Amino acid sequence: MSPSRTSAVHGLPLPALVVLLACAVAAADGPPPPPLPEDFVVSQVSPPLHPQIDELISTASPGFADHAADVCPDAEFIRRVYLDLAGTIPSAEVTRAFLADATPSALKRQQLINRLLASPQHARRMQYVFDEMLMERRPGTTIPVAEWQNWLRQAFLDNKPWNQLVQELLAADGVDKEKRPAAKFYLDRNFDVDLITRDVGRVFLGVDLECAQCHDHPSIDGYLQRHYYGITAFLKRSYLFTDPKSKQKVLGEKAEGDVKFTSVFTQEEGATPPRLLNLPAIVDPEGTEKQYEVKPDGKNRGVPKYSRRLQLAGAMISADNIDFRRNIVNRLWAMMMGRGLVEPLDLRHADNPPSHPKVLNLLADEFLSHDYDVRWLLRELALSEAYQRGSRTQTKSDAAATDYASALLKSLSAEQLAWSLMEASGVTTQTLAAQQAALLKSDPKNGPAKKDDPLWQDDVLHKALKPHVDQFALQFAHQGGQKTGFESTANQALFLINGSLVQGWLTPANNNLTDRLRKLDDNAAVAEELYVSLLNRIPTGDEIAEVTTYLDAVSERDPAIQEIVWAVLASAEFRFNH
Amino acid sequence: MRRDIGCNRMDHAVSRRSFLGASAAGSAVVGGLLTAAQAEQVRSGQKRILQIFLQGGVSQFESWDPKPGTRLGGPFRSISTAVPGMEICELLPHTAQRMDKLSIVRSINLKTNSHRVGQLRMEKGRIAGEYPYVGSVGAKYFTPPDARLPGFIHISTRGITDNTNAFLPAQHAQLKLEGVKAPSNLVRSDKLSEEAAKRRDEFRRRLSERFSASRPGQKAYTEAFESSFTLADRLISQKSLFEAEPSAKDVERYGSHPFGLRCILARELLMNGGTCVKVTHHGYDTHAENFNFHLEQLGEFDHTFCMLLDDLADAGMLESTLVLVHSEFGRTPKINQRYGRDHWGASCSMAMGGCGIVPGAIVGATNKEGTAVSEREVASGHLFHTYFSALGLDTASDHDIPGKSIPIGDPAAAPIEELLA
Repeated sequence: MSPSRTSAVHGLPLPALVVLLACAVAAADGPPPPPLPEDFVVSQVSPPLHPQIDELISTASPGFADHAADVCPDAEFIRRVYLDLAGTIPSAEVTRAFLADATPSALKRQQLINRLLASPQHARRMQYVFDEMLMERRPGTTIPVAEWQNWLRQAFLDNKPWNQLVQELLAADGVDKEKRPAAKFYLDRNFDVDLITRDVGRVFLGVDLECAQCHDHPSIDGYLQRHYYGITAFLKRSYLFTDPKSKQKVLGEKAEGDVKFTSVFTQEEGATPPRLLNLPAIVDPEGTEKQYEVKPDGKNRGVPKYSRRLQLAGAMISADNIDFRRNIVNRLWAMMMGRGLVEPLDLRHADNPPSHPKVLNLLADEFLSHDYDVRWLLRELALSEAYQRGSRTQTKSDAAATDYASALLKSLSAEQLAWSLMEASGVTTQTLAAQQAALLKSDPKNGPAKKDDPLWQDDVLHKALKPHVDQFALQFAHQGGQKTGFESTANQALFLINGSLVQGWLTPANNNLTDRLRKLDDNAAVAEELYVSLLNRIPTGDEIAEVTTYLDAVSERDPAIQEIVWAVLASAEFRFNH
Repeated sequence: MRRDIGCNRMDHAVSRRSFLGASAAGSAVVGGLLTAAQAEQVRSGQKRILQIFLQGGVSQFESWDPKPGTRLGGPFRSISTAVPGMEICELLPHTAQRMDKLSIVRSINLKTNSHRVGQLRMEKGRIAGEYPYVGSVGAKYFTPPDARLPGFIHISTRGITDNTNAFLPAQHAQLKLEGVKAPSNLVRSDKLSEEAAKRRDEFRRRLSERFSASRPGQKAYTEAFESSFTLADRLISQKSLFEAEPSAKDVERYGSHPFGLRCILARELLMNGGTCVKVTHHGYDTHAENFNFHLEQLGEFDHTFCMLLDDLADAGMLESTLVLVHSEFGRTPKINQRYGRDHWGASCSMAMGGCGIVPGAIVGATNKEGTAVSEREVASGHLFHTYFSALGLDTASDHDIPGKSIPIGDPAAAPIEELLA
């Protein structure tokens, strides 16, 4: 690409322009592209990342070009990117508009990515993803779930840099009301030092040091007992304190206490100052031992002059800490691509290297130079060919799992499944209409403007439909760390087969999906509306014939319509992001 | 108060069991005793696990390893059993008469006093890490392909959602029943006829198959999804099992308390195609009033468990059913100020019997006051190896999981050979 081409496009900020051109060469001769949404900001001027990713992916495996899938059709793309970035499938209306849009495909995909990243739905999606990543669906009530989720959502609405977000989590003591939600990571683990040591390693550094608690890891050379206790040493002086007045749990800290350990195998003893893996130890400053701002007693939490726990927050996000960056870019890659470059996500070590080490390093380096900008990284990933390849393949081998020559299936999370089913069946639309009507009635002055505000819409929908989403979480989510592969239980199937929630959504009413379908006389039109609403694509001729045969064979039309809607929503194509 | 529950049937049961064995199981003579399904169970050669989990940590002193008359032994006596020389606590009088079917391990050191860690170690046979539970491993290797029930059913009421199958496919995860309540969503809406349900599911399968066929490299996902529907169908077809009221006679024999009803259901499940059935008996975490609580709890356990054991024996199923009775740890030798015993994983006991297990044996010992293992110390890994060796698996070999090399049993442990028949 020639840099001189930049002069051909007007009125765009330079960074947006550079990215735009890098992926939308096809658009150069077409009509001038519409400007990006104003609120979309690319954090820094730099060459785009995604062509570099694709170069590395395509040269990493021999014969890659021969078996790599083509870029997926627009229909596959809109469903995929909506699910990944906005957490739901698109509505039939949005799908049709996107498919009908004559803008060159690469450009309209880019516009869609920008729009989604700037939407409140994206912040909601990230709230779900990071809640699961950080808390792993652990029950805990010290910090109310709603406060925590609002805090997370706001962080992603603001596109808070990842280093800042983690700094706030790890420096939190729960005292300041504003910052209290961030203390959930600590407080809802009951400040169990062993648990937090393990989870700090797993969640923020991508290493599971559990076995190294008692001895150097027997089968993983790089996991040493001193690594485990190096993290423990940051935390060991802190403790859970219940404020006698407010009855609130907060963290206190002592100004003394060192960490010693003994191997259960060798009986060798060791000691370590605070230290993150192989980074330099952080030695306490001279003369700080037993020095307090507030001395700990029954009434007051201890506040030392020098806090080791605060040092953890600093050391974690330090630019020297490459593992911190590698971990998060790997997790974001896994969210988009269906598999981590390092898999399992929390088991990076010498004998479990990344599938594409150069890609991992590139992402980590660029993430740092873009100031830990999560939205920027997701955008680059979504623009890559690796992300946009089709998922259809004729290879029978599992090679597809590691070389990214075709898109991997991603099972919908509990929340994606709930929101997608509500979108497709019409629950979301109906609920929004009801909320808007109520708003106009209660607030005739501001209502007309407010009812179209995307943030307000996301807010009221989330509040109104949360009980449904919770029911899905109960069935489809599991507590604990990430699992490789896909799980499906009989209870989940029964929930779809006989559960009253989903069956209720099939009852025709108020122009919901089954209501719209029953009003169509033409079977081909039924098939089209069915496929676009649920699968976001136009059915093939065979598929239309299949629907027609089904409807013709059943004497009563209404039940038959409900049956085919159920069949599609309970099929594999709906269950997976593909 | 203790009910007379007609537990004195050991001789009777034993003779019937040997008779069944001699008659190749399921002749006209036993027709009156076994339903056709039960007879089929015996004939099929299916192996099963019955796991009774005494949640909270049963006291080894008040059960399998009594120390009467010692400083920390507590107030209860020990009683003789059907096995000469073997004594257990007097709180288990009915079980005592059936100890010729069971063996005891008295030398378990779990090296933890945490409920959660102890439970995970007992289930996984590993010190730590993501490994499948006993029931999921059993489900993986012993569920027949055409089984009418999911391979691992757990009857409980409390407890967090456990990841029981770890890296094994999801169909081997536990199906958790809330007590004897049928699983949710077994019943079709009245608006949907059976014919329509079948029709729409055939359509659904066709769509899924087409999707899957165009992505052959990702069959692991699509097949797991389809198998959940197959399992769901099987559950629906067995719905009467879950919905049936137990007979008055069963309730009288087993007891009308929740554990009694759960054990009746467990028997029905095992006799109708179940592979691994786990029943949790809650309430052994006796930090206060250890002795009163054990009197009550074990009274309930003792007679109910014996009824279940008798019924399995009568049906000729004990040879093919591994029976396990365990906790997540034992209780402290020291009796605290509230007459309680606290958490103690350093020297605890369990009982096992049935398929592949030598009956009437005692493995290991604790010292005179029961404060430490004195002989043949075993970890949960040894127990795990023992269970599955008894069922006929080579526990030193790897799990049957493509692309992975994960030994079934902890390589740091081995089966307790003296328990293997």
